[in-house]
Amino acid sequence: MKHTWAMAIDLDRCTGCGACVVACNAENNIPTIGETEAGKNRLMHWIRVNRYWEGEFPEAQAVYLPMPCMQCERAPCELVCPVYATYHNEDGLNAMVYNRCIGTRYCANNCPYSVRVFNWYDYKWEKPLDEQLSPDLTVRSRGVMEKCTFCIQRIRRAKETAAEEGREIRDGDVVPACAQTCPPGALLFGDLADPHSEITRKLKDPRRFRLMEHLGTEPRVVYLKRQKGAGR
Amino acid sequence: MLDRRQFLKLGGATAFATLFGGCDKVQRRLIPFVIPPENYTLGEALWYASGCDQCPAGCGIVVRVSEGRAKKIEGNPLHPVNRGKLCARGQAALQALYHPERFSRPMKRSGPRGSGAYAPVSWEEALSLLMEPLKKIKAEAPSSLLMLTGPMRGHAGLVAGRFMKSFGSPNRVAWDPFGPDAMLSANAAAYGVRDLPEHDLANARYLLSFSGDFLETGISPVHYAREYGRMRGDRETIRGKFVHFGPRLSMTAAAADLFLPCAPGTEGFVALGIAHVMVRDRLTAASSAAGRLADDLGAWSPEEVEKKTGVHAHDIAAAAEEFARNQPGLAIAGTTAATCADGAFHCSAVALLNVLAGNVGKPGGLSFPNRAQAFAKYGPEAGLLSPSPESGYAGTRAALEKMRGGAFRIAFLSGATNPAFTLPPSLKFGEALSKVPFVVAFASFLDETTSLADLVLPVPTALETWGDDLAPVGHAGAITLRQPVVEPFHDTRSMPDILIAAAKELGGEPAKALPWGSFRECIEKAYGGPGGEMEKALQRGGFLGEASSPRSAVRTGGVSLPKAADRPLEGDPKAFPLALHLYPSIALYDGRGANLPWLQEMPDPVSTAVWRNWIEINPKTAAGLGLAEGDGVTVTSPSGKITAHVAFNPGIAPDVAAMPLGQGHTKYGKYANGRGENPISLLPAGETYALQATRVALVKTKLSTALARTGHPEGQWKVKNMM
Ligand code: SF4
Ligand code: SF4
Repeated sequence: MKHTWAMAIDLDRCTGCGACVVACNAENNIPTIGETEAGKNRLMHWIRVNRYWEGEFPEAQAVYLPMPCMQCERAPCELVCPVYATYHNEDGLNAMVYNRCIGTRYCANNCPYSVRVFNWYDYKWEKPLDEQLSPDLTVRSRGVMEKCTFCIQRIRRAKETAAEEGREIRDGDVVPACAQTCPPGALLFGDLADPHSEITRKLKDPRRFRLMEHLGTEPRVVYLKRQKGAGR
Repeated sequence: MLDRRQFLKLGGATAFATLFGGCDKVQRRLIPFVIPPENYTLGEALWYASGCDQCPAGCGIVVRVSEGRAKKIEGNPLHPVNRGKLCARGQAALQALYHPERFSRPMKRSGPRGSGAYAPVSWEEALSLLMEPLKKIKAEAPSSLLMLTGPMRGHAGLVAGRFMKSFGSPNRVAWDPFGPDAMLSANAAAYGVRDLPEHDLANARYLLSFSGDFLETGISPVHYAREYGRMRGDRETIRGKFVHFGPRLSMTAAAADLFLPCAPGTEGFVALGIAHVMVRDRLTAASSAAGRLADDLGAWSPEEVEKKTGVHAHDIAAAAEEFARNQPGLAIAGTTAATCADGAFHCSAVALLNVLAGNVGKPGGLSFPNRAQAFAKYGPEAGLLSPSPESGYAGTRAALEKMRGGAFRIAFLSGATNPAFTLPPSLKFGEALSKVPFVVAFASFLDETTSLADLVLPVPTALETWGDDLAPVGHAGAITLRQPVVEPFHDTRSMPDILIAAAKELGGEPAKALPWGSFRECIEKAYGGPGGEMEKALQRGGFLGEASSPRSAVRTGGVSLPKAADRPLEGDPKAFPLALHLYPSIALYDGRGANLPWLQEMPDPVSTAVWRNWIEINPKTAAGLGLAEGDGVTVTSPSGKITAHVAFNPGIAPDVAAMPLGQGHTKYGKYANGRGENPISLLPAGETYALQATRVALVKTKLSTALARTGHPEGQWKVKNMM
């Protein structure tokens, strides 16, 4: 069966707490780079929570917008990779083949959302912090580009379990680490190919919008606008 | 060390795998392998349930363990406090387990106190170093033993309490910088219950929050964040409205539909203004209480309140009207309101709104479940096990006095609340402790407090211990059980285990009071032991099904108007123009998270800073002082002086400067040390532990450090361009 994995991010529920960021660190072997490198804007996080200021005191507002890889249907990053290290996989996801990547960073330049991160060094997990590394994923080495995969290891696991049990994947079988932990339930993951999935239903909401839609990237991450007022 | 085979028998192996449908079974990979140790199945992960201890909220967790190593912590979906969710700190507990700087064996001081120089000793030697003086003072002066810990719950509290009692010392103090003392006394006054209520946010239609931080660090942040999400989006036709009052646009304030800034330390007056309108316009449900309060509230017209708080009279009136008409609703006071010198007043004034609106004991309102019943079988000892949420500030100060007088010969220190770091330096914790001849720390890490000890006994982290817990809110009577999810990584012993062993060796009363062979045996005896109920409970993460009957507030009729004591902030407004607003950091909490790299590198939601602290001021204030984003400043209060980098917050009142707590460590390891200075040193040592207690002045200063922030401080893009 063909899947159309997608994520819905409800800005009316996101509080900006950052739990998704740390959950992603733990799930995906994301290195810590330290203060100096962080000061050069090189954080390796696969999901970040953008904070925008709007207005001035006393009307000032902070707006939070969690930003994983948009998994664009028409991904601008893929077109510019000279070695096909980033490509579209069978599920329509924008995937990375780490050992093909030669580090041109063209993809990152061409990503309008700035969600791709580059390994400037071989980042080390000081012993015994390396015991926490997940055996499901590689630890990327210097010179390699990386980014959010929608927790592809969890998708694989769910597929294997379903196959072993001789059934189709069910709605809710795949939950990426960020969505799993998000305390107010702002993140929802699912299959748009399944007409009965929760995400298909949720994305009928008129509040839906996609980031920078005018660029024609067709992101698979769909946002729901914040609301105002007591009613719905 | 724990016997792996027994551990398995007692609910390990089956653990959580059943609940998760054994979702890891299919993954197989090639790992060279000769003789697999027990419970070490190639490529197969198991889930074990336990409890989080990164803050006092007490969430339930499940841990993915692969090849004998913990890999990932998630929320326990069955646990009523957090229902599968977890905050950043809970996720990061993994790094405490595998921290490179953990104590791996007992340590004896080898340099001057506070130098942090220690030499390893064997457990045998360490225990004899402990027992010799302990036996001596047991015979000569048992009350010269002091035990200073963080809040202890469950049977760990029972063991500690019984040990001290049977030893013959009344000197047991628990210190918690965010202990909700003010809320407790307010609740006693307003609801007649000296306890923390459950706020049923999910079913509320309207929420008023007063300097609330319930989404970030309050009493139970994951619980209330989940409830908040449900309040916003889980009902077909209702979306709960949220209005926030406070001096600073915090992360919680940013979630509100309407953020109405008020002057610092005036939250309670805003609440009185709302109460005034409710009574004046006959919008209250509790008419008898309203009638009695009418006269007293007369002075708090919205116009008067506007003068004092800066909140427009029409906003106060509108909030009152909406709050009263959109029932059920809730009014919540947060940590920063409660940690004003006048915290009890602010919390009482806010509680008054719940009483007037008639939201006590209603769905969508607040209720007081009967927590005491969980440990009722212990009779008068039940208090040792239940959440003991008071800060213990008074007790700690009294203990410091006695220390100075030479009353103590041995001090036991334990817990993550790190008094040497979280108490105002003017209390001189270290100096007082230097009067105690023998100081023993039960700790996993060297920190400012532990470094003052003569003997360090290394304890396991929460992921390696047995134990139980009763969360302060959200648990519906559920008891969390802890089990070691991995074999202890170092040669450690838990504090209850050490106390039980010490009691045995002391013999007599202590041995009778702690009659178990180990802490694990104590837990097993309490919950029915291997086989049967406890085994099932361990798999699920505790006894999670038991709903306790809500005990609604018994007395709300006697409500009276809370009085504000006049406790102005320290410092002359001319010399110190800005009020200092200190708040718990969402990543580092009270500072305990500062040694975990994931938390240091998690951008702060408001400032987006990493790895260093900052001072938030309004851009207009900064312009007046000639300060730009990231500039260094010297922050001076009447009690102290520190430096920090400037971060703009356009939503903070222009006469306020705010700093997060948690940075400024000097002895907490390489990830924590030297990342700015501790703002607690700006505080005076008052009668109560008040974080909103002083005024400060800022002067531009050149610093050799820089503040790393994620992205451009003003945002690469305007959010409008993104949509
Ligand atoms: S965990 Fe959820 S609420 Fe917190 S920042 Fe991420 S998306 Fe937002
Ligand atoms: S709120 Fe506290 S108990 Fe819950 S996960 Fe976070 S740190 Fe752990």
